[in-house]
Parts: sequence; C-alpha cells; structure tokens
Amino acid sequence: MTLAVLDGGTFYHHDTIYGPRYRALFDRAIYVRDMAIRDLDGVNLLIVPDRINPDLLREHRGLLLAFLAAGKTLVVFGENEAETWAPGVAWTARPTNFWWWLEADAQPPHRLLDPGHPLFQAVPFVDTIWHFHGVLAAPAGARPLIEVPPEEDAAGGVLLYEDRVTTAGRMIVSTLDPFYHHGSGFMPATTRFLDGFLPWAREQAAG
Amino acid sequence: MGAFAEHPAAAGRIARQDLYAFDNLALDGIDALLFSMHADQRFLAARAARIAAYIERGGTVVANGHIAYPYLPEVGGYIPSPGQGLKDLAIHRVAAHPIWDGVSEQDLTFRRGVAGFYGRGGHQPPAGATVVHTVGAQAQPLDIIYRVGAGRVLLHGGNDLWQYGGNDSTARIAPQLIGWLFGGAA
Repeated sequence: MTLAVLDGGTFYHHDTIYGPRYRALFDRAIYVRDMAIRDLDGVNLLIVPDRINPDLLREHRGLLLAFLAAGKTLVVFGENEAETWAPGVAWTARPTNFWWWLEADAQPPHRLLDPGHPLFQAVPFVDTIWHFHGVLAAPAGARPLIEVPPEEDAAGGVLLYEDRVTTAGRMIVSTLDPFYHHGSGFMPATTRFLDGFLPWAREQAAG
Repeated sequence: MGAFAEHPAAAGRIARQDLYAFDNLALDGIDALLFSMHADQRFLAARAARIAAYIERGGTVVANGHIAYPYLPEVGGYIPSPGQGLKDLAIHRVAAHPIWDGVSEQDLTFRRGVAGFYGRGGHQPPAGATVVHTVGAQAQPLDIIYRVGAGRVLLHGGNDLWQYGGNDSTARIAPQLIGWLFGGAA
C-alpha cells in the first residue's frame, strides 16, 4: 500500500518531494544514491522523477527489474536516459520547442490517443501539455496514451504510455519532466499535472 | 557545463568532473569549483566542511540554483518570489560588477518577452556580501558575492549562469565570468 519516490538530491527534487504541496502524498522518499533492496519492501508503486542521475539508475537496474518482476508499478518520467536501463523503452531525441505557446496559432502538437484511460479522469489532457525533449516508441502490446506527429525533420512518437506486457509488472513511461519544473517554481502546467497525477498514483498504490 | 568548458575564453582551463568523484578530487591547485543547479545538494551538504575549508584557503566557488541543503558557508536558504507577475520577476542591478559589464537588466529579465528565466527568488546574503542583482519589488538578493577567509563565493540563485549566451547582451556573461574566475578580482 506504499507509494515511494526516488530523490536525486537536487533542489527541485527537494521542493517537489518535501515541499508542503505534495509531501503527504509520498509514503517514502528514497535518496537514490543510497537505495537498497529493503527500501522497496512493501512498495506497490515507485516513481522515478525526471532528472535522476542516469548513472545511478543504471547502477540500481537490478533492483528496479526485480521490483517489476514482483508485479509492482514503476512510473518513469523524462530526462533519465530510461532507454539505457528500463525494459522496453526506446527514445529518440527531438529538438525542444520551449516556445510553442508564443507562436501565432499556438496549437501544441499533442494528441490524446486514449481518452478512456482512467489517468485522464485525474489529469486533464491539457495539463499534460508542455515542451518535450524527445519521443518514445511504445512496445508492441503497450497502451500509448499521448503522441506527437512527425514535424519537418523531427521524429514523431509517444510522450506517455502504459506497458503491462514487457514485464510482469506495470510501467508508466513518459518524456514529461514535472518534478524539475514544478520544483523550480516556473511552469504552472507542471504543477497542475502533479496536482492530478500524484493523488492518482496514490490510488494506484493502494490497489 | 560542456559548452562553457569549451568556451574559447576558457582555453582548456575548465574541466568537467563527476560530482560523485568529489571525495577523490585533490582540491590543491584547483582555482575554482563550479556547481550546477542540477547538482545533488544532499551529497554536497554532507561535504560542506570540506567546501568551506577549500574556500577559506583561497578557493573560489560558483554555485547556481536554489539552496535546499546547506552546502555553502554563511548563506541562508532560498525564498521564492511572492508571485509570477512582472513586478515580482524584474531583475534589478544594485551594484556594478565585471561579470555583468554591458549586460542589460532588460535582457536578464526577459527572454522572448517572458520574464523569470534568470531567477525567481533570492537567498539571505551573509553580512558584508555584495549583492549585484535583486529580483522583484521585494529586492530579493539573486546574485550574491562574498568572501570567506582568503576565498570567494558567487551564488546565482537561478538557472546556470553559463547557459546564457543568446543574441543579446547576456552573451557577455560567460567570457566575463571566465575572466573573473581566472583574473582574481573581487
């Protein structure tokens, strides 16, 4: 019944995890550099926030695979080089347009593929829309939730998917980076995203 | 950090190191330590005494981001600006300094017309510190320079200083910061 989150020790992980807005939602915060197998005892859902040091995630890959093999849920956010340590993840860089919202028609390219997924009852699609640094390819049998089409020379792909087939567990994988931007106090969409996502993740952890 | 280390003005004098190799890094002979906003501050705070001793012996530290764990001597924690409006986010120069010579407040405040990139809050400076820039109507200290023993600290409480360098006056920051790092001026 436990929701745990990895802590990378940066100021923005500190603000998002230990700040008053969300801290009651996390049952356990695990400083990633010291992560040990006992830290995952009783954990049903583990969040790997964006911008955790990928060297450490690769180092702890065995623990994360064992966690999934036990049928648990792993949430993986962006900028973690997840394609180097998380099962089934394929990622392609794409130039980041931080400024889409200043452009004349300001239409983001995001497409909601699966509006019936229960996540979107907790997180309105519009609150998933901000810049992205690359795109994912959902493995065969996984459930792609949000995608962007190709654009000029940039590859199209998936920004959020759910994968219950690659491992015995469940993975929710995204390119999004809300822990960094909320914890930096700068991008309100990322705060609205976490306002919906973290209580939803807590429900998932409760089974 | 990579682009900054390769800046022509650095002339090969800036080397990128894995933070987690810090305990094995011989600090004698290193002129300055540069800490990114993305640094693991829990790790650094556990080494605050070594960092302080390095500064006291004459080293320079440049730190970016918000202080969440105390890893620098004497400076207080981060206080965010009270709002997101322009009056809360405008950057004001309150002291001239060679790192920002010729850099306009306008270019620090706005990027593509949007305020807030350079910094969105401040830290309580130590007594005797030089505050170069403040944020917002409450004049929160954003760029703080102070001496500890024979050394010096520059804390920029926002996005990494060395990432500025677009087609405006902020492009002067990186080479002028390099000049300050190696020139030894206060």
